[in-house]
Amino acid sequence: MPFIKRAPFAERTNAESANGLTRHLSELNSPDAEIRWHAARALGGFAPAVPALAVALEAEKVPHVREAMMTALMRVGDEASVRALLPYLRSQDAHLRAAAIEALQALPEAVAPFMEALLGDTDADVRILATELARNMPPEDAARALCSLLANELHPNVCAAAIEVLAEVGTRDAVPALEACAQRFSNTPFLPFAVSATIARISSTES
Amino acid sequence: MEFSGARAVHVTQGDVRRLCEFLYRRTGMSFDNNKRYYIDRRLAERIAATHSGSFQSYFAMLRSDAEHEIEHLINAFTVNETYFYREDHQLRCMTSHLLSTLLQRRKTGDPIRIWSIPCSTGEEPYSIAIWLMENWSEVDNHNIEIVASDIDSRALNSAAEGFYGARALMRLSRQLVDRYFAPVDEGRVRIDPGLRESVQFTRANLIDPQDMARYRDFDIVFCRNVLIYFDDASRRLAAENLYDCLRPGGYICLGHSETMSRISSLFSVCRFPEAIVYQRPEAKHV
Repeated sequence: MPFIKRAPFAERTNAESANGLTRHLSELNSPDAEIRWHAARALGGFAPAVPALAVALEAEKVPHVREAMMTALMRVGDEASVRALLPYLRSQDAHLRAAAIEALQALPEAVAPFMEALLGDTDADVRILATELARNMPPEDAARALCSLLANELHPNVCAAAIEVLAEVGTRDAVPALEACAQRFSNTPFLPFAVSATIARISSTES
Repeated sequence: MEFSGARAVHVTQGDVRRLCEFLYRRTGMSFDNNKRYYIDRRLAERIAATHSGSFQSYFAMLRSDAEHEIEHLINAFTVNETYFYREDHQLRCMTSHLLSTLLQRRKTGDPIRIWSIPCSTGEEPYSIAIWLMENWSEVDNHNIEIVASDIDSRALNSAAEGFYGARALMRLSRQLVDRYFAPVDEGRVRIDPGLRESVQFTRANLIDPQDMARYRDFDIVFCRNVLIYFDDASRRLAAENLYDCLRPGGYICLGHSETMSRISSLFSVCRFPEAIVYQRPEAKHV
């Protein structure tokens, strides 16, 4: 047989030593992207590293290193890491927005305190992304937040995004808010169409 | 649609569309109305198995992933059994293209390292070994290391034991079965002891970075039909872990219904006649 076997793998090591963490924190500023990548990966899940990761993320230009920094923040998953990720919902870079939304979607409990502000943001694109974050909330909370958004939302694309999520999480309780939205946007044909499809789906599920 | 059972559950077209949209968003698997009967059957099975009183309660359970229901539903919608030479076009791609490309840029004497994760009950890593013995003329000129990992220690024990039934062998010719397996009892065979000794079985969790840090310098990783079970964030974490496990220029083979492009920008897409595989780029990003 041409196959070889090496010695059995060592058992996994415990958490990094304090020295290791300090080294990784300084490596976030290395001129070598591979070193920054490895530092970000090593710091994932360590809450004390959040401020340094947030600063490094702001300066980082290499896409895969930025994504690793976002994953590292996601692995911490506390309020500070959510605060570090939220600004990227406004990024002009679609990859960065997508990476941020993915990381935040994995943290529904930590994101919950920020949802009201996000759904009321002055930037319609942020409100659209916030509807996606609502998808991972408990369904009753998500439906309540999205119906509240629909009551006053002026941007048809934001309404469409909210309606799409309601098609998954909504119940009949959402029907009045949906109908009111369709009425307000009766001159924007795709919205009444989306509303009727969503109401049909919600209603048929509960019949 | 009414499902028979302890209690009939009514499922509407709207329910089915709701389920299909969820499945698509979560896994990328797309089902249209032509597959309605197929979907209905599998949905009925899951509703019955979970004792859900309605589609609504089943869907709520699914969305919250209670009792790992997402995994159960995906299993119901996919061919989740494993067997020797499954998706052998990727094995062909390995011996036709990947190995020769890898050998061009490495030092003589370095072992070729291949990783099967998740390896389940061993059919995949043993298939890789058999395929190399049968189809790669260079096989005796190199040291080859095959590591096979899974999160399920029972599956790993079974893999190391190497007993298989007829269904697992259905894609193998009679000659291959005679060459690499010995009959044990009615309908069961055991894989050749030399092959059993050739594969190193270890436990690993694909989405645990600390666990995965023990695995480095692989040339080819077979990671098939597992990412489909993860949510987006876990897929990204798995992709980052796999990137670190590969040597620069190393390849990763995913299942036929999976695509790395949807998960991460870390890898380059390589289109070969036999298969699409993904490559960790050689160049450093500075």
